[in-house]
Amino acid sequence: MRIFQSWRYPANWTIFRLDDRLLLILMAIIVGSFSGIASVVLNRSIVTIFGWLHHFRHYWWAFVLPGIGAALSSLFLDKIVKEGAGHGVPEVIYSVSRYGGLLRFRSSFSRIISSALTIGSGGSAGPEAPVVISGASIGSNIAKYFSLNDRQRVALVGCGAAGAISSIFNAPIAGMVFAIEVILGEWKSVNIVPIAISAVAGTEISRILQGNQIAFSHRLFSISHMDIVACVGLAVLTAAASILLTRLLRSMHVISKKLPTPVWLRAAIGGCAVGLIGLFLPVVLGEGYHSVQAMIDGVFLQGFAIVGLGTLAKIVATALTLGWGGAGGIFAPCLVIGSLAGLTYHHGLALLWPSVSWVNEGCFALLGMAGLISGMLQAPLTGIFLIVEITGGYEVILPLIIVSTISTSLCHYIEPASYYLKELVERGHFLRPGTDARVLSDLNVSELIEKDCIAVTQNMLLRDFISIVKKSHRNYFPVENEKTGHFMGIIHLDDIRPYLFNPVMYDAVFLGQIMNTRVDIVNLDDELADVIRKMDANHLFSMPVVVNNRFIGLISKGNLLDQYRKELMVQTSQLM
Amino acid sequence: MNHQLLHIFRNSPLGRETLLQSIYFSRQIEVSPVIYIPKSTKFLMYFENDVVQIDLDASYLMSPDTALEHATELLEKADLEPKFLEPKHYTASTLPDIHTDFGYMSCPRSISSLSSKIGLGYIGPRVRRIVKSAQFPVLITSPVYKEWESIAVFFGGSVNAFNALKLGFQLCRISGMRLDVFTLLENKSQESYEKLITDKNLETEMSRYVNTWHFLRKKALEKNLYEVPHNALVVLGAYGHHLLKNFVFGSKMEKIQATIFNNLLIVGPNYPAESYRAAS
Repeated sequence: MRIFQSWRYPANWTIFRLDDRLLLILMAIIVGSFSGIASVVLNRSIVTIFGWLHHFRHYWWAFVLPGIGAALSSLFLDKIVKEGAGHGVPEVIYSVSRYGGLLRFRSSFSRIISSALTIGSGGSAGPEAPVVISGASIGSNIAKYFSLNDRQRVALVGCGAAGAISSIFNAPIAGMVFAIEVILGEWKSVNIVPIAISAVAGTEISRILQGNQIAFSHRLFSISHMDIVACVGLAVLTAAASILLTRLLRSMHVISKKLPTPVWLRAAIGGCAVGLIGLFLPVVLGEGYHSVQAMIDGVFLQGFAIVGLGTLAKIVATALTLGWGGAGGIFAPCLVIGSLAGLTYHHGLALLWPSVSWVNEGCFALLGMAGLISGMLQAPLTGIFLIVEITGGYEVILPLIIVSTISTSLCHYIEPASYYLKELVERGHFLRPGTDARVLSDLNVSELIEKDCIAVTQNMLLRDFISIVKKSHRNYFPVENEKTGHFMGIIHLDDIRPYLFNPVMYDAVFLGQIMNTRVDIVNLDDELADVIRKMDANHLFSMPVVVNNRFIGLISKGNLLDQYRKELMVQTSQLM
Repeated sequence: MNHQLLHIFRNSPLGRETLLQSIYFSRQIEVSPVIYIPKSTKFLMYFENDVVQIDLDASYLMSPDTALEHATELLEKADLEPKFLEPKHYTASTLPDIHTDFGYMSCPRSISSLSSKIGLGYIGPRVRRIVKSAQFPVLITSPVYKEWESIAVFFGGSVNAFNALKLGFQLCRISGMRLDVFTLLENKSQESYEKLITDKNLETEMSRYVNTWHFLRKKALEKNLYEVPHNALVVLGAYGHHLLKNFVFGSKMEKIQATIFNNLLIVGPNYPAESYRAAS
């Protein structure tokens, strides 16, 4: 029994007591491996479902297939696992920001099944975000099972995300950078080591089960100075595509919510619309990796107008799939839209300046992907490393950096929050470690209450009160009703100052006459940010905490700032 | 010590019985009920080391137009200030977070299953998860409103049982009600339980608050439960043993709740013992 018990608490093992980083490394291997398996399962499921349905694609009614898939996916999420639709990455970031990375166990498999149905049936979405929430949830639940603390749990959530991205793209550095740049938002060595190990574990699992293949291999590109200059224009185009996709996704959400129909029906409508587009432009269907490969290889033989139309169609199809309730992520659509945008740009350049020998169109497709990923995620490093790794194209690193950074900057200028963060920022839930909002959110009113206040009654004489003041080291005294014990007001030492040097008043003044009854009170569930705002606005140093008309204690600015500093030190310490 | 009790309001006759229980409990031990009237069938509760998604039975959303009115009416009749919880945070747009910074929570035996299923011997999986994760005791109400006039603590010597006993002292001190302690003598002697109390320096409290310490001698727990007053609030620890022991021998709390109709105040494994010291 004892062995069983100690197994659940590895943090107590002698080896890990010496250095808990060893514990995180061990856990990172486990989390990375499970996340890798989850990615492989999703990948194989999508391929299998897509294969089954492929035989029906030539029928006229095939446009309903994405609709059926999206409806089933929505029904599964809503009725069986009872989770909301969407890709889940904001949920992971929210949980890391506010609840120490606590995620539901059901999230470790729900999005895998739902996104397999959506994408396998032809919905325009990607498998990456669903595996991020699955991996993160695996990390969170493993941390919960082994009773790890919040900091370790957050690190394992990052490990799960890194393992998942690394495995699905066979790209360990991209997985690592994504987890740190997008999910955790802090570069601490204590997180980087386990995340790197998890990324390696996830990649290895993928290589063992699926083989070591570069997702989009390509031939060597010979990039000239003219191409590098032209990259600036491509960055602008990809930034515009990113903004359009972000806004369209959000407006589709809004429009679909207004429809008085069940969520599965909305998803079906969105899916069928995608199916209809797919009848004319098959490039919009599914994750679209075959088209990306064709574009990089330079064998996507459509003209300027068709490719441009394809770019717009893929943006609309993605917004219809995800905005109307289908499950999936935006990574894969970004890669397709980016490569289509790159190709369109290349065709445009060739039309405008036919005499210039531009680099092969595949290079622009590849740069377009980086521009779209960087713009949508506003995470340039993720964009750069992902494209370098999935294409094996280190020789394009210079234009990649240019496109990624310019696209990120432009998108940030127009849309200050990325697609993943926009909703969180709007709701005030985006709390990165070390920021004012995060520190305040990690503290609560009940842990700051000072209870050593002496309560007085309204019928007490000033003389009696002065003898109480002598014994107390506080400046505030709550006044309570003698019979009911209800809070009536508060007396500050300043309130008795006019009478203090006039002993005649000692037996003439009752506290009920001088107490302050118009007091701003604090409830136990008030946000500390609101409390401190009230204190600043009214120049208060202390406020009474009152529950059910009873005085519980005082909350003071001094104590609040003291705790604030301690919390800030914990959050920003490099050793933590 | 937090002076609030969380109550999830079900606007149905069963919900009325449960709210009446919560109101009676709040009045006896001087806590303030905080009522959450759900607007969707699911919400999340983030605990210290767990997140529990509560998938409510659809009857919680019955007649939303009268829910507020009904709850307010019952609270005002009991001279309690109606206080309603509005979720401030959302994990997803349709998934509110309910904070868990409460002193107590009140639940029927199940909050996810149809009310027709609720009966003795059945504790819903969500209620079980809440008890296991919560840092507050959970009041599992009897199916119909029943005023309790004494407190009965089940004490078996475990860490959780000590927490339950300390909570019993606290409730006895606040409510002024009679407190009885019940101990099932399994393979141990009466003296060994008394020694446990001595070792924890609880003799003074035992003599101050406890009316009678009953030692139950029949082998099967269920056969002893007739001794427990029908109108007592039963306080007991739960899920304090590790998984394997619970799996093999079953949970005593579950056996007790399957046999008696009393209101149960259950202390889970995460209830901090410091709450007692802080409050006393």
